[in-house]
Amino acid sequence: MRILRFVVRRLLQLIPVLLGVVVVTFLLVRVLPGDPIRTILGPNATEEDAAAARARYGLDQSLWKQFLDYLRGLATGDFGTSIQSGASVAEELAVRIGPTLELVVLAVTTALIIAVALGIWSARRADRLGDHTVRIFALIGNSMPEFWLGLVLILVGYSMLGWFPAPSGRVDPETDLAPLTGAELIDAALTGNGPAFTSALSHLILPVATLSIVIVAPLLRSVRASALEVLHSEAYVAARTHGLPERVLRRGYLLRATLVRLPALAALVFGTAIGSTVLIEYVYSWQGFGQWALRGLLYRDYPVVQASVLIIAACYVIVFLIADVVQAALDPRVRI
Amino acid sequence: MAGTARSFGAGTPNISRRSVLQLGGSVALLLTTGACAAGKSGNSGSSSTGRGASTLRIAVSNYLSSWDQDFVGFDLTALMLYKNVYPYMIDYGVTEVSGARILDTQNIVPTFAESFEPSADQKVWTLKLRQGVTFASGNELTAEDIKWSKDRAFAAQANVAGIYRTIGLTEPDQVTVIDKYTVQFTQAFPSALTRQIQAISLYVYDSVEAKKHATDSDPWAKEWFAKNAPTGGYFNVTRAVQGQEIVLETNKNYSGPDPAKTDTIRISVVPAAANQRLQLENGDIDIALGVSKRDIADLKKADGIKVISAPSNDQVAIQMSVITAPFDNVNVRKALAYAVPYEQIIANIYGGDARPAKSVVPLDMPGSDEHGYPYTHDLDKARAALAAAGVTSVNSELVFETDNDTHQQLAVVVQSEARKAGIELKLTPLDPATLAQRREQRNIPLQITSGQLWVNDVEYMLATSFVSSANLNYSNYRNEEIERIYEESHTTVDEAARLRLWTRVQEILAEDVPWVMVCQPNFNLPVRADVAGWVQPMDGLARLRHLHAA
Repeated sequence: MRILRFVVRRLLQLIPVLLGVVVVTFLLVRVLPGDPIRTILGPNATEEDAAAARARYGLDQSLWKQFLDYLRGLATGDFGTSIQSGASVAEELAVRIGPTLELVVLAVTTALIIAVALGIWSARRADRLGDHTVRIFALIGNSMPEFWLGLVLILVGYSMLGWFPAPSGRVDPETDLAPLTGAELIDAALTGNGPAFTSALSHLILPVATLSIVIVAPLLRSVRASALEVLHSEAYVAARTHGLPERVLRRGYLLRATLVRLPALAALVFGTAIGSTVLIEYVYSWQGFGQWALRGLLYRDYPVVQASVLIIAACYVIVFLIADVVQAALDPRVRI
Repeated sequence: MAGTARSFGAGTPNISRRSVLQLGGSVALLLTTGACAAGKSGNSGSSSTGRGASTLRIAVSNYLSSWDQDFVGFDLTALMLYKNVYPYMIDYGVTEVSGARILDTQNIVPTFAESFEPSADQKVWTLKLRQGVTFASGNELTAEDIKWSKDRAFAAQANVAGIYRTIGLTEPDQVTVIDKYTVQFTQAFPSALTRQIQAISLYVYDSVEAKKHATDSDPWAKEWFAKNAPTGGYFNVTRAVQGQEIVLETNKNYSGPDPAKTDTIRISVVPAAANQRLQLENGDIDIALGVSKRDIADLKKADGIKVISAPSNDQVAIQMSVITAPFDNVNVRKALAYAVPYEQIIANIYGGDARPAKSVVPLDMPGSDEHGYPYTHDLDKARAALAAAGVTSVNSELVFETDNDTHQQLAVVVQSEARKAGIELKLTPLDPATLAQRREQRNIPLQITSGQLWVNDVEYMLATSFVSSANLNYSNYRNEEIERIYEESHTTVDEAARLRLWTRVQEILAEDVPWVMVCQPNFNLPVRADVAGWVQPMDGLARLRHLHAA
């Protein structure tokens, strides 16, 4: 019940935070140099044509009027109309956000599992060959730009070994997958479309691997450092001295205490991973949220930029909320 | 919550958890293996997306931004697709030059129309439609569709409305329906450009279908057209997965000349040029429309791949603002024109695969004079020109597009060589929106531009680039004689008279030198060895109907 109250309180706090984001984004995107209207007009367009296009998108109105119209739209779930495509931003967003969240959630989950398993394993063998090997590999993974790593994995996995499909799209269109959430793996599972499920999975493996390799290092280091701290703590040493079985030591004393610091870092990494998908989406022809937001920014597509910043902010806040709840569950000292 | 977790951990038998983990791991392993196997079978060509007997697969760099041609931005993928899915009433014919098949801009032929002919005074043009041409909805293409489409274009005040002004069409009333299959265009003045302008403007919407989706607030069904592909062209769109793939099927109802030669064309979006190359090498695509110059050079030696080469009218230039210091002085402009290392750029940046520009009028355009641009790389002449301007050194920024690698390389080479002549350039890459804004404000002293004109005619070139009202006139150039020649050319339909005008235009521009003409890069397209029928589009927009597997 206490946690429920905490969640409700934090969700209510979300409203002023997102309102602040809306105001700042609305103003900042208009302060940036660049004219979105000129990018959609043909070379023979006159000043009158440009004025007509501005009126079409309401950009001829005062800033106040534009802002109030935007807020009114947001209240009804209307994110506006894309200046570049002329289509509803909400509809475009619905198509783009699912694949990116699927990619990021899978990659962060994979990275977390690897980080926890290897971090604890490495800490228990501190300063031995296995520990050094894990740390070096994590460092190498962290040092590689995701763009380059993605191309290398494609070269090996697709071009040389032929194990994975061409980096073109997210699912074989011939599987006739009916889109529900936009996340192909989930849609395939929900609709019971087996061929689409395996196709989506085969398309996901390399991008998820790329993102996981890039983000696993900080998580692994954190887990290893925490595990080392726990291994040298009085409680753990006392328990060990008292001859508790290895399994009880590992699960009762080491694992949970080690994971206490992880949620906050994982939330940060999740946010970073959303940003990192721009390049990964480019390399794997993923056409997700990152590419959509980047194009919106490059062409100053105001409604697209505003919607994408708002979504990223909402993701951050919600993920940190989840992290706080998980941390409270792991650490009895934390009171929420 | 914490307590619940602990009691779960203590109360659950260990063996059970391990079993669950083992089971989960096994399932994951099986799925991964299955997925890899699926990927492998795709590579071997046996997957459902493999190429059939009459299927071509094309990779493009980006998904189109909208299906609505009246309201789209400058999106080359979209504009290329429009050429193939909208019914265009007339289009360029095909000719062969030096073994390459290219669109013949001097020969415009009726396609979905039966004829398009002028009155004696060349002011009234009559378009007669073929009977029995239908859209995918089953609605017949009639004169009412033409009228509605052109009314919509005028209302849009964007692409076509702008271009129609060059031939004296400014009001919807100038387009009239004569009968079910006949439409007349009454121009304010006769123009030698009419056929060429209409070749790029006479696309038609299914107005009966469109009206079903029109509302009071959206009378032109803009929202519907932004998302729904048009029909009735050489191909119909049978599948469009946003951001990923577009499938085109031949329009079997087309009864005009030159129908599509391939039943199905699958267009996949592959943004990374390196991936397009890999997929072409692996045989997963047949045509790569977004491969880098360096990759093309390598692909020329690859097995199973050929690179189609053709001369292009794509021009690379450096526009100098003639109203902004230091380029408001013609001698400074001449100094830069002499300082640019043309041969080095062609050899090193374009791998020798470009032609030196001989004039501001593109090579192959009627009237192009090979003496129209008398500047070659000569640093002594550059320094002398600078001295004639009364200075020993000048500074300026050199603007180019952020994501254009070729322009970036070009800027670096020009900066290095111009410095030797005393011209110090600061390189300024700009994103598309900032570049568009600064171009609108006309405040860029020096900028790299590239592109090809959609109409292969000097009058159109002047209209878009060199008269004071031209929107691509980033040089802010104005010459009274050029303005007079442009006005005169509107009503000059005699070919010999027009050529005389173009000779004078080039003499003036050679002397005023508002643009440094860098080169004309050739067009190169890597395709699988069995792809045939490519026709080089002089407007850069591929006509896919000609393509087929040999």
